Amino acid sequence: MFIDFFYALKAKGLKISLNEWLTLQDALNKDLAKNSLAAFYYVARAVLVKNETDYDKFDLAFDECFKGINSNDIISKEMLRWLNKEELTDLVNEDLRSMLNREEEPALSKDEIEAKLNERKKEQDSEHNGGNYWIGTMGKTSFGNTGANLGGIRIGGMSGHQSAFAVLGERKYKDFRDDRIIDNRQFQLALRKLRQFSTRLDIPRTELDINGTIDKTCTNGGFLQIVMEKPRKNAVKLLLLMDSGGTMIPYTSLLNELFQSVHKANHYKDVKCYYFHNCIYSHLYKTPECENGDWIETEWLFRNLESDYKVIIVGDAAMAPEELYSESGNYRGPNGGLSGFMWLKLLKQNYRKIVWLNPKMAPGHAPWREAETAVKNLLPMYKLTVAGLKKAMDELMLRK
Amino acid sequence: MGQETKHSFGVRFLWMVNITAYFIERNMDISMSIFTGTDDYVASEELKLSVNVAVSLGKPLLIKGEPGTGKTRLAASVAESLNKKLIIWNIKSTTKAQEGLYAYDTIRRLYDGQFGEEGVSDIARYITLGKLGEAFRAEEQVVLLIDEIDKADLEFPNDLLWELDQMEFYIHETKSLVKAKQRPIVIITSNAEKELPDAFLRRLVFHYIDFPDAGLMEKIVRTHYPDVEENLLKSAMDRFYEIRSLRDLRKKPSTSELIDWIKALQIGGISAEQLKKSLPFIGVIIKKDEDLDVIKNVH
Repeated sequence: MFIDFFYALKAKGLKISLNEWLTLQDALNKDLAKNSLAAFYYVARAVLVKNETDYDKFDLAFDECFKGINSNDIISKEMLRWLNKEELTDLVNEDLRSMLNREEEPALSKDEIEAKLNERKKEQDSEHNGGNYWIGTMGKTSFGNTGANLGGIRIGGMSGHQSAFAVLGERKYKDFRDDRIIDNRQFQLALRKLRQFSTRLDIPRTELDINGTIDKTCTNGGFLQIVMEKPRKNAVKLLLLMDSGGTMIPYTSLLNELFQSVHKANHYKDVKCYYFHNCIYSHLYKTPECENGDWIETEWLFRNLESDYKVIIVGDAAMAPEELYSESGNYRGPNGGLSGFMWLKLLKQNYRKIVWLNPKMAPGHAPWREAETAVKNLLPMYKLTVAGLKKAMDELMLRK
Repeated sequence: MGQETKHSFGVRFLWMVNITAYFIERNMDISMSIFTGTDDYVASEELKLSVNVAVSLGKPLLIKGEPGTGKTRLAASVAESLNKKLIIWNIKSTTKAQEGLYAYDTIRRLYDGQFGEEGVSDIARYITLGKLGEAFRAEEQVVLLIDEIDKADLEFPNDLLWELDQMEFYIHETKSLVKAKQRPIVIITSNAEKELPDAFLRRLVFHYIDFPDAGLMEKIVRTHYPDVEENLLKSAMDRFYEIRSLRDLRKKPSTSELIDWIKALQIGGISAEQLKKSLPFIGVIIKKDEDLDVIKNVH
């Protein structure tokens, strides 16, 4: 049913499983949506969308699919039944579509299509699939669903009245989208993903498992049997490197939030935090002020923090090309004779997991941002938003 | 379905031409239990619809929303409206999924064994069912509220996948299966402190309770205080939404706080006029010092 709607939802980035889709059909078969598009909207949303952050995406897809329907259409139940053939699920794929698409009906205006539809509704008395005249599925006319003709009138799915769209039009769930900039609490939530309990690791069983001991002793008829277990502690060690250069000033409060979140999430085995100015060179600063002398050597870092530290670099990667590539460095501090890019490469060699979080990353490919593109090619870069941070955490936790 | 429910959207629209068949279907549906809200709980049309979808499909309903939008009270209202028993399982940070199913009191059995009590060999005597088990064992359909599921460990929801899907679990010690006699209506609330796993979410119906708009809010207040003075209610609500619209507030006041506030205003004998000039009993709706400062700055 409503295969187009399904694909529209998918295209908007909603993860909908087949089970949920079947559940929706079940709900419709039980007549839960009754006869109103508004009710259908809520039923479909309750069944398919499981997070208020996705409501907006759902609204957009719904709007896209059901916009063309006006409130006065009356479409017979029989017609709907022909359109909503479940076995079509298997047939619908891009190949088939393009195959059927060869003899396209010339594009008609909306009014013409409407007029034709009304005419044909009067004429039609049987089921049609794959034809090029009648209302049916997989056809080439402008009517029906799963069809090849673009821009026609959608029959099937639902018809309804405008008021549902009034609700959609407001896009009232826009603020819930999780690709917007985040606050402290959401940072913390995302950072919770960084958990790796050391019971999984190969360490000795040193803690008395009280519950296990009681269980074993009891099942053993009361004879004491000691059970030892591995201590359950988070083994994740974190190295946070933050850009504190001039271009980062607009993001100070955002970085502050991230910094606080990392420190509030006190379940890490170790957290180290250092600062750099525009790009990483031979020294890392202990404070955001980046004062000469108040630093550690980057090589000291490589020697003393093992490769299993997970590294999060936060910066806008907006260095001038010479800051990144020049060996003398257009830079106020020492660079150890290596370019910034080389230092980043060294960092990559020394640590297994590194992510770069960028508060003003360009969406998609942005070759005009030379430094950003270069860094992006070297290290996985994510935008500093809820969604981006989550992806970055997933990347950090991925085992290779 | 049972009766003509009025949609706030106004116009309803028929897409079934065969009116007769349509009414036969409707009559059949009358036997189904339909949640319509209760006297002391005002539910929006969308919420009622979501509840009915969940009940008809036999799937758990996950409720999210701002604090104080009545997530927990919904379950009580559903139980009352459908005339069913309510079983509440309160989740804490230490709650394990197993606790909801059953507990095996090994210690008591151990003692009994050592003191030579009768019936030690019968393990079933030492099995007590948890809230979920209780709901499954009930002779009649019950409403099971799993309150604040996000408080528990991250793995908690995953541990309940099978049980909530199949509505059954296995007691290993006695090798017996506890299967729901009547599929309970499961309502789960979450404050979104933790994200719930996808596999879990796929199995439920989800509803996010929006913060009530002024119209619905008025209805809610009136169910609590039917005799509230018109002008007082109006200016209290105006002030309330005005405060809520302040961007800098850390914690926005919720429905329950408005209700308390109106009660305080009534008891204090505050008139609508006074309310327009000052904000008496502000402590009832604003709990944080920083927020009090924000409001002081505005006024």
